[in-house]
Amino acid sequence: MRLSALLCAGRLRLPAGYRHGTWRPGTAAAQLRNPPGLRRRKIFVEPIAREDWKVFRGDTVQVLTGKDAGKQAMVTQVVRARNWVVVEGLNTHYRYVNRTTKYAGTYIASEAPLLLNQISLVDPEDRKPTEVEWRYTEEGERVRVSLRSGRIIPLPLRQRWDGIVPEQWIDGPKDTTVEDALDKTYLPSLKTFEEEIMDAMGIVETRRAKKSYWY
Amino acid sequence: MGLLTELARGLVRGADRMSPFTSKRGPRSYNKGRGAKKPGVLTSNKKFILIKEMVPQFVVPDLEGFKLKPYVSYRAPEGSEPPMTAKQLFTEVVAPRIEKDVKAGAFDPNNLEKYGFEPTQEGKLFQLFPKNYVR
Repeated sequence: MRLSALLCAGRLRLPAGYRHGTWRPGTAAAQLRNPPGLRRRKIFVEPIAREDWKVFRGDTVQVLTGKDAGKQAMVTQVVRARNWVVVEGLNTHYRYVNRTTKYAGTYIASEAPLLLNQISLVDPEDRKPTEVEWRYTEEGERVRVSLRSGRIIPLPLRQRWDGIVPEQWIDGPKDTTVEDALDKTYLPSLKTFEEEIMDAMGIVETRRAKKSYWY
Repeated sequence: MGLLTELARGLVRGADRMSPFTSKRGPRSYNKGRGAKKPGVLTSNKKFILIKEMVPQFVVPDLEGFKLKPYVSYRAPEGSEPPMTAKQLFTEVVAPRIEKDVKAGAFDPNNLEKYGFEPTQEGKLFQLFPKNYVR
């Protein structure tokens, strides 16, 4: 009960020594594998500062080592705590899912995560792997620049976790329209909200609460 | 294998002592409230007298022609106005009145009540400090 209350509070507080997997902390799968009180051997990860992180979900990267070396694909998941990147369709192993007592299960390919040094960002026009650096443009915008050719690698489009595209949103019956929400109708006054409603509805209250004390 | 079975064994050894013992647990005779306030007074006769003033009532003004709805469209951009501060409220509401009176020569520093100054919160229905209203 307490963990779900923490999740509702917003910022998730994970215990020290939490072993991050490919599952989002808070989901049932993550809770099954990381129950409270679990202590596992520490995994050492090369520390990378938050500002120096270069790979995002939706980027095209090339795999440098492993079974699918030399192939390019899109990043589907990033786990910064372990410097992991999961690339779509590459570095796969096969497993059975949805197994029941009667059914053997579906044989699917599941991707294994790759470390950052097994990955390289790809120059958008060249389509070859390059080293990338964060630099500032003339306007002051922070962009990723390919060191070999100097071209800017644009950031991938950031989608909302619930899949809603604000530009394509259709208002429902309980949604305030954009014009009504941005309408400035506030008139500053010295009365409190309750006093204004009493004046508007013509409620007169002459009784006062008896004085009480608390410590 | 080792760690998870150890954990499972640890939980099997007893009940969860830390979870609250609510009226949902225990026998039928275990009757405990969940924190509702009593809108009245219990007399020595064990009779409960309801006090109408303690029963909460919703005062809802007429919402005819009210354009705001419970939710806001996702297309609406972030607001541009900063939140209202006491200083801003003063400069918008009280300062013009004081300026007008000073220019007319009718400003009296002993009679600040006409600009909204409240020397004491006694006698007010909605006192600002200590705050005696919910919102």
